[in-house]
Amino acid sequence: MNKKCTGFEAASLMPRRQLLQRFGMGLGGLALADLLGAENAAQAAGGVLSELHHAPKAKRIICLFQSGAPSQIDLFDHKPLLNEKHGEQLPDEIRNGQRLTGMSGNQSSIPLAGSPFKFSQHGESGLSLSELLPHTAKVADELCVVRSMYTEAINHGPGTTFMQTGSQFPGRPSMGAWLDYGLGSENSDLPAFVVMNTKGKGGQPLVSRFWGSGFLPSRHQGVRFRAGDDPVLYLGNPAGLDASSKRNMLDALKKLHELQIAKHSSPEIETRIAQHELSFRMQASIPEATDLSKEPDHIFEQYGKDSRTPGTYAANCMLARRLAERGVRFIQLYHQGWDQHGNLAGGIRNQCGQTDQPSAALIQDLKQRDLLKDTLVIWGGEFGRTNYCQGKLTAKSFGRDHHPRCFSIWMAGGGIKGGTTYGETDPYGYNVVETPVHIHDLHATILHLMGIDHERLTFRYQGRRFRLTDVHGEVVSDVLA
Amino acid sequence: MKCRSCVSRFLIVACLLAAAMPGLVQAQGKVSFNRDVLPILSDRCFLCHGPDEATREADLRFDLEDAVSNDVIAPGHPEKSEFFHRITSDDPDVRMPPAGSKLSLTKGEIDILGQWINEGAKWQQHWSFIPPQKAALPSVNNAKWCRNEIDHFILARQEEAGLSPASEANKERLIRRLSFDLTGLPPSLAEIDEFLNDKQPGAVERVVARLLKSSAYGERMATDWLDAARYSDTYGYQVDRDRFVWPWRDWVVRAFNQNMPYDRFITEQLAGDLLPDATDDQILATTFNRLHPQKVEGGSVPEEFRIEYVADRTQTFATAFLGLTMECCRCHDHKYDPLRQKEYYQLSAFFDNIAEAGLYSYFTPSVPTPTLVMADEATKAKIAAARQDIESAEKVLTEHADSEATRQAFEAWLESSPKVDPLVPGQVAHLDFEGDQNGGNESVEGRFGKAVKLSGDDAVGLKVGNFQRFEPFSVSLWMNTPDVKDRAVVFHRSRAWTDAASRGYQLLIEDGRLSASLIHFWPGNAIRIRTKEQLPTKQWHHVVVTWDGSSRADGLSIYVNGELADCDVVRDNLYKNITGGGGDNIAIGERFRDRGFTNGLVDEFKVFDRQLTKIEVAQLRDDKSLADALKDSSTVSKAKPLFDYYLATVDAAYQAKLTALREKRKELNGIADGLSEIMVMREEPTRRDTFLLNRGAYDARTEKVIPETPGVLSTLPDGASRNRLGLAKWLTQAEHPLTARVVVNRIWQMVFGRGLVRTPEDFGKQGQPPTHPELLDWLAVDFVEHGWDVKRLLKQIVLSATYRQSSEPSAESFKLDPQNLLLSWSPTFRLPAEMLRDNALATSGLLVRKIGGAPAKPYEVEVSFKPVKPDKGDGLYRRSLYTYWKRTGPAPVMMTLDASKRDVCRVRRERTSTPLETFVLMNGPQFVEAARVLSETILKQHNEDYQAALVDLFRTLTGRRPDPTELMILSDLHSQQLEYFAANSGKAAEYLKTGQRAVDPKLDADRLAALSTVANALFSFDEVVNRR
Repeated sequence: MNKKCTGFEAASLMPRRQLLQRFGMGLGGLALADLLGAENAAQAAGGVLSELHHAPKAKRIICLFQSGAPSQIDLFDHKPLLNEKHGEQLPDEIRNGQRLTGMSGNQSSIPLAGSPFKFSQHGESGLSLSELLPHTAKVADELCVVRSMYTEAINHGPGTTFMQTGSQFPGRPSMGAWLDYGLGSENSDLPAFVVMNTKGKGGQPLVSRFWGSGFLPSRHQGVRFRAGDDPVLYLGNPAGLDASSKRNMLDALKKLHELQIAKHSSPEIETRIAQHELSFRMQASIPEATDLSKEPDHIFEQYGKDSRTPGTYAANCMLARRLAERGVRFIQLYHQGWDQHGNLAGGIRNQCGQTDQPSAALIQDLKQRDLLKDTLVIWGGEFGRTNYCQGKLTAKSFGRDHHPRCFSIWMAGGGIKGGTTYGETDPYGYNVVETPVHIHDLHATILHLMGIDHERLTFRYQGRRFRLTDVHGEVVSDVLA
Repeated sequence: MKCRSCVSRFLIVACLLAAAMPGLVQAQGKVSFNRDVLPILSDRCFLCHGPDEATREADLRFDLEDAVSNDVIAPGHPEKSEFFHRITSDDPDVRMPPAGSKLSLTKGEIDILGQWINEGAKWQQHWSFIPPQKAALPSVNNAKWCRNEIDHFILARQEEAGLSPASEANKERLIRRLSFDLTGLPPSLAEIDEFLNDKQPGAVERVVARLLKSSAYGERMATDWLDAARYSDTYGYQVDRDRFVWPWRDWVVRAFNQNMPYDRFITEQLAGDLLPDATDDQILATTFNRLHPQKVEGGSVPEEFRIEYVADRTQTFATAFLGLTMECCRCHDHKYDPLRQKEYYQLSAFFDNIAEAGLYSYFTPSVPTPTLVMADEATKAKIAAARQDIESAEKVLTEHADSEATRQAFEAWLESSPKVDPLVPGQVAHLDFEGDQNGGNESVEGRFGKAVKLSGDDAVGLKVGNFQRFEPFSVSLWMNTPDVKDRAVVFHRSRAWTDAASRGYQLLIEDGRLSASLIHFWPGNAIRIRTKEQLPTKQWHHVVVTWDGSSRADGLSIYVNGELADCDVVRDNLYKNITGGGGDNIAIGERFRDRGFTNGLVDEFKVFDRQLTKIEVAQLRDDKSLADALKDSSTVSKAKPLFDYYLATVDAAYQAKLTALREKRKELNGIADGLSEIMVMREEPTRRDTFLLNRGAYDARTEKVIPETPGVLSTLPDGASRNRLGLAKWLTQAEHPLTARVVVNRIWQMVFGRGLVRTPEDFGKQGQPPTHPELLDWLAVDFVEHGWDVKRLLKQIVLSATYRQSSEPSAESFKLDPQNLLLSWSPTFRLPAEMLRDNALATSGLLVRKIGGAPAKPYEVEVSFKPVKPDKGDGLYRRSLYTYWKRTGPAPVMMTLDASKRDVCRVRRERTSTPLETFVLMNGPQFVEAARVLSETILKQHNEDYQAALVDLFRTLTGRRPDPTELMILSDLHSQQLEYFAANSGKAAEYLKTGQRAVDPKLDADRLAALSTVANALFSFDEVVNRR
């Protein structure tokens, strides 16, 4: 794991040199004749950290982002009191001045709404989960459910931006970009930061800044893999050209470039040659990594029938495992549709139907390949949902508004204490009463698991050192194994 | 501790190599405070010992000259200085910076600090806060190399470091470099030949003059400015709808092409609306301030985002014009620069004073106010004529009312003992709430029989109310409020509150007062009046709102209990329609995501399609005013209301004239409602209060502030008003320390790839000091002295010997100065995204040279994260400057090639090199098609002569002839590909099909395809991709 690079350099000043390091070809060791032979990249590509700050527990991360904010009250944080007080008004002393969104903030009545779903204990640890998550229940002993998450954002745009970049407002690098910047890649033939979203889902829009590089150099931004033949923008050769024909073109270019270098040594040209060769390799490595056709039937069965349809959450979970196997550092999934302002019961059941089995299968699959021990899996949304009903509370239908003061996520794998819950909310499920975990704390913990002191992974921009955690964040050591 | 009297040559080289160490210690061995010392103090010490009082430790600060005192820093005596003791101590309790700060000093840095103390610890103010001055040209040994002043400064530094300049680039290289740098486009073969054949002195000058005159120049310059202005064709944030702002982009292109002086360029964009007799074009320039992302997401708190917009404008101003990181002070005093949090808010106050909403409208396409209506001259004339017609019609109406004949007719009518209908005419709806009309609300005892008691969450809907703004109407109701409401919707015709910017009309209670409005987009395009008195609670009131169709606040009235209420005019600027967006009929007591009239009572709700007169209002209330007045019409007080009643309901001639007026208003509305609007700045007449916000939080207001400039720079000049125009005057003063330096640096960066200050966004203490401070200052002063003339500045730069150098460094230069800080060769860097694509279009002849207009949608928008349909025809082949920019899914080719994201102001792009770039250049349809179209042209010229075809192809793409070896390589590739296509029948046709441009059927497919792949490959060739 101890990646070495030749030393710290301000990234903005030395893109060329870093690029060569990323390709596993430090400037000193660059020998043109050997370039083609170097493709299996014995040396992994380095990030800015010359060494990790401490021994890491995880080598890679799979983030299963549930966009729209799943209701913690109906999935993870059981509140029988709400069923008792169903229909009564949210007490002022519980709300305690919390700002509400403009959607329910002007409602004359804010009635409490109990969960219509049953909860029970699972696994040896007795983790409490809703009946909506029967598959997740099977991996209960791997999970640490954090019930005391909180944020400041009350709307999706800012909320998701915060979760992904550590700030409510656009402009900061995303988590994956920070890790790529800090640690570089484990596999020089694949991008270090890959993004996939479930195809054809409506709901709160996703925007590219969620996986953007902010002020970090743009090569750190997430590379989106699309479902279908061309997973990466213009990866495939133009119609009519095959690999041999492309090879002719690249060989000619290489000869032209070598002629140039013979006249004047030029690092720019050396970089260009390396870049062309890598692109050629990626034209093979990316389709190989994203090709599910060789996966055996029992694996498809494990992830559920959706997994045979490209672009589904299930297929993306299986792809995530394949990318994890191949050393992709940060794999980000998005699944939209959790924004249940109305008709919560039907909506959330549907969402769980799409995500429960594949999420659980991913954990099991990683475990059976001995990858779970150093892969951190995170499941969660941008904030929680209210304990009260948005709109009319009727016998048949109700909805929940956005709630920043508490929400639940789960983590599993590399360095996480499985079969545990962390943090507690009040009996109304409105406020955190024990060990609150802010998004900055979560980020600090994630970086910690990757062997990084969140205060020391910095990038100087506009005169100051920026971090993922801004000037906040405490590692939540109680969730660590 | 050992003192160092001089710094060895080794250290110079070490410093040159150390990327993290910005300073270049000079050969004489003297440290420079600003260049060498201050950056270290700032970066490692100021966090705890700097300008921010809140985090200052031990009451000790090193950002002021006072730091140099006998016991802390003893000039000449590092060994006696506590400061030096602390940074060199081995004791972790004593050592600075402390371990907990996670900062440290390198040995080299400690040496520099020691040497500085040793040399007397001379203090200077931070360089960029001192106005620039023209230094004498430095003397150089090789003076004959110098072509102009720039070269003296550049050569002097090179000679100091033992370097010499590279030889001059050849003419082919030079014209290619000039063409890209000044126009963003490659030279044509004809242009190259003309230049090569021009052996007369002044050939370069002639090329430069031609390029600066070309309209492509303005487009090239605009490209960079669009990054600074965070230009985007969509609003951004999450929902990210399209918006109409491209006329501003065209303004920028025009301004550069006209060579508008830069001080004017700044002034018009900052404050064009405030210039005396501002033209539409000058107002349009201020769109610059409104290009930040805007929000529409339902449920957002509008003030949170309005504050964000103000902050964005402030930050953009500071970054683009001052090169300062003012945004740091949004939450606290600056940690490094002498800028206080209060000063940030004082600066933000300049940008706070417009009629702006925090959210744009979800349900309607209204343009967020303030706006400029875009009308051509013919339309303006039509509008003026329609206004004239309205004025005339109004005059006719008044004259009729004032005429003696009318008066006599009125009196005759009175004397005829007229029978009047007690029912007020024009009623189009009536709810008495006696039956099942309550929309799910409770029915309670009312003013007359039953009334509705509103829940606040359930509306009572009517089936009427979709009035246009030229149509007079009135609404009458009895109401009873249980308490003093901050806000409550009594009735409205609109789809929603903030989600529709309230478009429509409405009666609200605000702070217990009645408030009536007609709105296109709140707050800038609306009328609102509000009663001065609060409405007494827990009793019934008769309330009537009347409207005359004039689009003026004086045409809107509120009557309370029969009397015209005394009202404040809150806004009086309605210039677009009030209909649309849905919610077409009146609803009582509730509105989408607004606060309803909770527990309020409403009874006898009536709607009229005419403006009621006062006596009719009274009649509605008491059912007897009319009869009473007629009984005793002798008193003047009764005669006036009766006269108005007479005109409105009896006098047919008056009513005909009223209808005529209404038709004229309809006509004007018809023209105005169809016109486009664009967001601009317009100063509010009454200054909006701006507050210092604790930690920057929108709801944490503390002290009130007024507009003021940062104290470390200078105060507003005498006579400058405290608004954006005053700010622009301040900014463009000749002696301003930053403005000219910042722009000169950015233009230098545009040409050389990096600025003299490598952090163009930060001229503060954490920024990098200039590599050539005297040159930067000389250029800045010279620029101002010559009228902020941008073309002249560019000419100076590109005609210098420095510019003309070859791009191949000598071994010595590369070894001593690998980053080329001293410019001993011409920098090589990858062309910006726009130029790479434009080059393919230009060389293939596909480029459509239309200037300006609506954004173009090339192939790539189809595969962006937010796919849109690409254009057909011309839109595929416009310059990349015009490519449709969608913030949440920007043009993916541009993004792959490091274009700015345009979320916030950026004045520097990263340049990275990834395999994704190769995919784009080799496989992207734009490039594949361009390679084919170029090959078609060449193949037609050189039908059978492949060698000639390859030479021309290579020349078109690189600007030079291939040497024999290169030609052989191309020729081999061509033969290989020809074989490939011959062996794989049908592949050529497949390959040629890429793109919308039809293939020339007369050409042999295999041969065309083979040549096209050569062109396709060359798009990734070093000399095509890189600026050299």
